[in-house]
Amino acid sequence: MAPEMIVPQARAESGTLRSEEARLRAYLADRLHIRTRFAPFSDVRAILVSAPDDAADKGLIVSTETTVAERIYLYVHVAAHVALGHHRPLDTIVEGVPGVVRLERDAHAHGEAERLARAMWWGTNEDLAAPRRVRGSAILRGLLARAPTRSAVRGILLALRAAYYDLRIERALSRTRIAAWLRDALCVTAVVSVAPQLGDA
Amino acid sequence: MRLSDAERVSRAIQTLSGRASLDVIVDRLYDLTEGTLELDRATLHRIARGKTQVARAIDSPEECIRLYFALMIVGCEQDVATATIVEEGRAMLAGFIGEPLAALIFRDLEATLPKLADRLTLKEYLEEGLRLWLPK
Repeated sequence: MAPEMIVPQARAESGTLRSEEARLRAYLADRLHIRTRFAPFSDVRAILVSAPDDAADKGLIVSTETTVAERIYLYVHVAAHVALGHHRPLDTIVEGVPGVVRLERDAHAHGEAERLARAMWWGTNEDLAAPRRVRGSAILRGLLARAPTRSAVRGILLALRAAYYDLRIERALSRTRIAAWLRDALCVTAVVSVAPQLGDA
Repeated sequence: MRLSDAERVSRAIQTLSGRASLDVIVDRLYDLTEGTLELDRATLHRIARGKTQVARAIDSPEECIRLYFALMIVGCEQDVATATIVEEGRAMLAGFIGEPLAALIFRDLEATLPKLADRLTLKEYLEEGLRLWLPK
């Protein structure tokens, strides 16, 4: 997974992204027994440490260098690894930083997890999927599948958000369906922008 | 628990302790294992000095593994070279619980360590490993 992760230039972390991250982290804790904590890693993005007993807690240490969007992606990716049993019988999973850590030995496992993570992200499992309002949009998914259109969509959504706040219309529009859709679309776009492999058709 | 090679275990503990006194290291081991180590101070000293092959208080592999992770963390804190930490940690654990039982842990460690070049990352990994082996 790591080689394709793109580090965004600016950190514009919205409330929608943060609540999605919290929701996914809670899912990892409640359903997969994965306790998450953070550490200032420079050479890896995350480490999943397991015990031989599958029912026992697992520990996920995530780099404090990651953005919220990256963490959302990491949680889905880690859930895919666990679903595939890559942590068994006692295997530590290291999510590396592109160009720093060589993970060729694990390339196959990470490739499998990528594919499953993508299926989960666009699938119907409410716990791990992208927000419901936007994940069924074939148009948005098509636009996010390629770098130029993904970048354009992100630019447009950020411009719309800026206008939304600059024009001080959030109070009037905040509860509308269109505003909710745009918030979710920006959230999904931010995640796919840092992990384009999620958007591959 | 009977140590299979008391002398090697003693050498490993002393190497991982760096320049710190054994008493300071023993304190740190109790800290790291959150008081779950059943070994008393005197026995731990005797093991570290290679004076005994018997550690009656340690009666489960889990306890040996906690001691192993804690000693590896001490090695990180004492600035012992990473390769030495791994080698001595292995010698210590193998001395306690024997190779067959330790093989699972060593296999994971050998696959994981090449990916963790940074000492801080290694220490965080070891701390998480220790946490998972602490009793609930």
